[in-house]
Amino acid sequence: MTRLVPTGEMTLGPFFPREFGLGANDLTSVGGVRAEGEVIEITGRVVQLDGKPLDNLILEIWQADREGRFDNPKFFGWGRAATDSAGVYLFRTIRPGALRGRAPHINFLLLYSGLMRQLQTVMFFESSDDPVLNAVQPGVRERLIAKIQEPNRYVFDIRLRGEDETPFFDD
Amino acid sequence: MSETPATSAEFIERRDPRTQSQGVEPGYAHTAQRWPSQPLQRRPLTAAELSGPRDLTRRLPRVRGDLAGYGDKRAIGQLIHLRTRVVDEDGAPVPGAVVEIWHCNAAGRYIHPNDTHGAPVDPNFYGAARLVAGDSGLVELRTIKPAAYPVPDAAGWWRPPHVHFSVWGRVWLSRLVTQMFFPGEPLNEADAILNAIRDPEARARCIARLAPTAQGPQDALVFEYQIVVRGRKAASSLP
Repeated sequence: MTRLVPTGEMTLGPFFPREFGLGANDLTSVGGVRAEGEVIEITGRVVQLDGKPLDNLILEIWQADREGRFDNPKFFGWGRAATDSAGVYLFRTIRPGALRGRAPHINFLLLYSGLMRQLQTVMFFESSDDPVLNAVQPGVRERLIAKIQEPNRYVFDIRLRGEDETPFFDD
Repeated sequence: MSETPATSAEFIERRDPRTQSQGVEPGYAHTAQRWPSQPLQRRPLTAAELSGPRDLTRRLPRVRGDLAGYGDKRAIGQLIHLRTRVVDEDGAPVPGAVVEIWHCNAAGRYIHPNDTHGAPVDPNFYGAARLVAGDSGLVELRTIKPAAYPVPDAAGWWRPPHVHFSVWGRVWLSRLVTQMFFPGEPLNEADAILNAIRDPEARARCIARLAPTAQGPQDALVFEYQIVVRGRKAASSLP
């Protein structure tokens, strides 16, 4: 059987079309129909080593529906957002459930100029017994747990590099 | 709760370091501010990582199948057809793969408002498209060949002509963002981004192939390129 090597990844660069970063950060409806479940907001600031917030960084998320399923035709668990000039992103979505030994979580990928390829991380809603969270050492894994700002609003700040930097995964 | 193996039939292998950059690249200053300083973590792959959005056009619609235009709307520059095939590691096509493409104009200027360098804007060139691969995994874009451009404050680093690609494969971990280069361009040899891919064969696969002109359209050069996304069918389904 043919065995091809995946294409090498490269940076997004500084000129990703602005229009492509808009209009996909609300996961609460499909075709105008609200998905079942609790609406939540997830926001955060992305910074680099010197603390500077990063403008127009692209984040994409992938998550399960309220029951932990990834194949619900009435919930589209994928979204994309761009940070603003303050380095802040915002997603509006449905609180995910979890199945098969996982805790509720949201998968993140980051794309930006100065990142040679995508970065992968995961956000959890609370300290959980989860195999991916447990793969990160104690003292560091807490950085993957979002902070509650209001009952339905979570803050998940991301530091790419430096003290207290967010853990990222290589798969 | 115990770790459970994925039940998806998709199989993802670890990245081959020869086909990837180190992360912090000496010629590319921003990388030192942004690439994580800690080694990236390993994690078990579960249904979450090995599933992915179906019919992404529900959120990301097709946009602009042709960037070159016609007649008095025709963009300035060398007319080209980019024929790109999206396949998986088995060489099987990925039908329905969404492909975003963007590049600068024939003078080296991007449409993005953050590109403020001196090369002129072409009012007939809006260099951003989103296509969807057909059953054979093929996307075809009629456009104009981008120019090289100088990277600001980078001591003479010029990007060779290149086209940006953002592609979705079958699952979350198949996601690929990369750049395509043109054959025979002298600036390819010193480009910090292309040369961050250390393996010469992997690097060569990032360069498109000029199709023989005798069989091609009369008015355009055809460049062929293959994108291999991660993932292949597992030999057997896991319980």
